[in-house]
Amino acid sequence: MRPLNYAILKYFTTVKEACADDVIEALKGQYGSFKALRKPAVIEAIMTGEANGLLEETRYDLDPKGELRVYYHAHKEGADTINTYIK
Amino acid sequence: MNEVSGAANAQVVAAKKKLSSSFFKKGITVAILSGMCYGLYSAFMTLGMAKGVWANNLYAGVTVGGTVLSSFVMIYMLGALGSALNDTISGIWCILIAAIKGKLGDFFRTIKTKPGAVMIVAALIGGPIASTAYVVSLQMAGSIIIPITALCPAIGAILGRILFKQELNARMMGGIAICFAASMMIASTSMTGDAPAGRALGMIIAFIAALGWGIEGCVAGYGTSMIDYEIGITIRQCTSGLTNLIILVPLWGILSGGGVGLAGELIGNVVTDMPSLIFFIISGFASVYAYSLWYKGNSMCGAALGMACNGAYSFWGPFFIWIVLGVFDGQKGMGLPPIAWAAAIVMVLGILVIAMNPMDLFRKKED
Repeated sequence: MRPLNYAILKYFTTVKEACADDVIEALKGQYGSFKALRKPAVIEAIMTGEANGLLEETRYDLDPKGELRVYYHAHKEGADTINTYIK
Repeated sequence: MNEVSGAANAQVVAAKKKLSSSFFKKGITVAILSGMCYGLYSAFMTLGMAKGVWANNLYAGVTVGGTVLSSFVMIYMLGALGSALNDTISGIWCILIAAIKGKLGDFFRTIKTKPGAVMIVAALIGGPIASTAYVVSLQMAGSIIIPITALCPAIGAILGRILFKQELNARMMGGIAICFAASMMIASTSMTGDAPAGRALGMIIAFIAALGWGIEGCVAGYGTSMIDYEIGITIRQCTSGLTNLIILVPLWGILSGGGVGLAGELIGNVVTDMPSLIFFIISGFASVYAYSLWYKGNSMCGAALGMACNGAYSFWGPFFIWIVLGVFDGQKGMGLPPIAWAAAIVMVLGILVIAMNPMDLFRKKED
């Protein structure tokens, strides 16, 4: 089992793109009991990854509830870095 | 790449701008808070080192009120012991906080990984190595080295550019230079013209300290993009505290001629001395946030801006020493000179120049 932050970043190397809700949905099976698997914390972890060149924003829209939904992906350089450090 | 899916509308764009802006502002706030916590922890550690057994040179091997500690031990060993005690207590705080927040499992999982190992190395460079270099350089060259150590934000920014391709343009470098000038203004108040022999070597060693802190801020900041900042700081404080306690303090004991036995005796004296320990418990707690928010701030807004905001500790340190030791403890001569207040304003300007183009403020007003 990986630390939660690693799992969040690693998830982006396995999908075309994802938003925070997708990450939570994908990881809740293994990390559902983690206090840090909450939307604000996950958004912050993703945006920190983006600020450090690991992830890149692809698009944004509103979800059915009218909340902002930002999608990101791990571009080649970011995915390579993630895979180098996180096995 | 930033396309709005479906019909572009102002509501979505505004929400996105708000999200980006709040993340940026939070990064700056976190980095500034880290500098304030650094000042707080420095003040309480200084207060702790003036209380109880510390006030009597730890009664090392003699009766109350006497001392057998040479000036060598006084300078190096007590400094190392103060850092060791603060960082170890801070490490205990970190473990408690991680346990309460359900992150202890991730802490043990993280230290076995490559980013965890990088964080340990960064902690060793910025902790025992840089701190020892700072104490040694201060002893060899005097207070002239303080401005040299204030170079660490510039070093961190340059390393961030080289190692992690972080943004660093001419305007940001100009802002870092303004912040450095402000640190120089504050340092000038403690420049006593003391110039012992070996000053040149002392200044080189001071640069090693600045390099160490620059490396730590930049590498640990980047590491915090992968490692949760509360786990990162737990790794940092446990590494620094235990290294100081198990290696550095006994090493100074051996070098002073007292051997490991002296180190054990001094450690025993300080951990059982409640009048001073209470202040180390407070400084250890402040230290948790001084470093964890430093890492988090650097990871959120890059080493250049993060370290400049944190670098305001050169103001917050004297400020909280005045509040804690002067106002709270009633010690004389702790007030801040006017130049320190002026330097704080210069520092804010420097941070503003790094964070944004100041001309944009006027453009917004025109819009």
